[in-house]
Amino acid sequence: MRETWVVGAASNRFGKMKDSGREAATRVALAALRSSGLAPKDIGYTFVSNCFGIAEHQAHVGPLINGGLGIPDVPSCTIESACSSSSAGLHEAFVHVAGGFVDAALVIGSEKLSHLDTLAATSYFAIAADYPFETKNGATFPGLYATLATAYQATFPTRPEMLGAVAIKNHANAARNPHAHFQKEITMGTYLHSPIIASPLRLYDCCPFSDGAAAVVVAAKEFVKSPVSEPLVIRASARAGSITEMQDRPDLLGLPATRTAAAKAFRQAHLEPKDIDFLEVHDCFTIAEVLALEDLGFFPQGTAAPAALEGVTARDGRLPVNPSGGLKAKGHPVSATGASQVVEIFEQFNGRAPGREVPRTETALAHNVGATGGSCSVHIFSRR
Amino acid sequence: MDAEELPRAPHTVDDFLRAYEDGGPLRGFRCVRCGLVSATWGLACPRCGDTGRVEQELSPSGKVVSFTIQTVPGDEFLNDAPYAYVVVELDGGGRITGWMPAVRSVSDLEVGDRVRFHPSYKPGVQFVRDLPVDRPGSGG
Repeated sequence: MRETWVVGAASNRFGKMKDSGREAATRVALAALRSSGLAPKDIGYTFVSNCFGIAEHQAHVGPLINGGLGIPDVPSCTIESACSSSSAGLHEAFVHVAGGFVDAALVIGSEKLSHLDTLAATSYFAIAADYPFETKNGATFPGLYATLATAYQATFPTRPEMLGAVAIKNHANAARNPHAHFQKEITMGTYLHSPIIASPLRLYDCCPFSDGAAAVVVAAKEFVKSPVSEPLVIRASARAGSITEMQDRPDLLGLPATRTAAAKAFRQAHLEPKDIDFLEVHDCFTIAEVLALEDLGFFPQGTAAPAALEGVTARDGRLPVNPSGGLKAKGHPVSATGASQVVEIFEQFNGRAPGREVPRTETALAHNVGATGGSCSVHIFSRR
Repeated sequence: MDAEELPRAPHTVDDFLRAYEDGGPLRGFRCVRCGLVSATWGLACPRCGDTGRVEQELSPSGKVVSFTIQTVPGDEFLNDAPYAYVVVELDGGGRITGWMPAVRSVSDLEVGDRVRFHPSYKPGVQFVRDLPVDRPGSGG
């Protein structure tokens, strides 16, 4: 395999976009290319994610984006893996570049749902679960993760303040991220007084419905003569799946796909959790960050819940988690989320995250989950 | 090999849904290799991958393994909120998910509570509290 780098990355501001998903995707792709020093004609393949493009009456968006970039002859395909779509796209780009099939590839994720009301958006999200066996029985996405939270609380002592601290930390980080949907800090009082959405999860445990787009440029080391930004060396690109329906899983105390993908990734990278400087993890709900930290191997099972409360996962803590604000506060434009995690790591490595810098940026890990863990990506990056 | 020659699941997804509407019995499969009882559709065991599976009638009763009170529902449960979404371990094996109308607060349900399948006016698996009939005044 060839050594493969992330050489460019860009995101727009998450929240409510005026642009269509297609327009936003094309803009961030061009911005990512400019940050890489490569030109559109250098791209050999474009991997696009746009899970809910149908909500904009648009499918097959890859050729439209490539056409907008002036490279209509470049092949593209749409990668759908629910909330882990664009990290799945990154994996495909890695495979193509590391395997020598192309020298450079574009990974783009874009989503626009703000033109839908909450009911319609909730219903769109819910179809990424098992529709006949979960959604038809009353599950929503907050409901499914709330069910995990109930099981966790029934097994391990977890005070509401522990989940609240995750939300407070991630809002504080997002307040310093110009790309974030929510750019305001919250207090424990605000958290505790927010309404229950699906018990025990409150409003401030939940990520928002966000519009947004993010793009990443992947290239072979040997193809990049003089990078204009500090590249991320892709030390591991691992994917895993697990049983979609919670009822058939061995337990409800974590996501099996995260455990499997993490084991693969650390093996590929020849690294261990203690070697990682900071993380971007999939915190669609606060309980998801807790489960991720345990499933990835950074905390023993049942011990990650107090980490945010004790400051361990703060930007200046022992293990900074989600300096971008995470899905929880940066926002969660489904298909853009995986790519946007890499944007944050790229900006941290390049010293372009003013006000939210983490102390050490030699290694980082990105963790992105599809739905409730039917699929999962783990990528590990390091400096050259 | 023609797809028609592959092992066939005795049930389609629609068969599961019709069983819920018809009031049961709840159907599932037991893996002949690992013993997992599953109440979801598939051609192989979701745990071990073996295609050797036998149909099994599932108990209508069991205990709540986990749950949430859904305050903000999706469109198909718009008129039912708040309600409980539950994961239930059925007596005799197999887990299934379902919903419980009129369970509106976390104080109304606990992990470990007994519930039983109850035919619903709408698609899906509806559970109600499984109250002992010989204990009048046991609440619920």
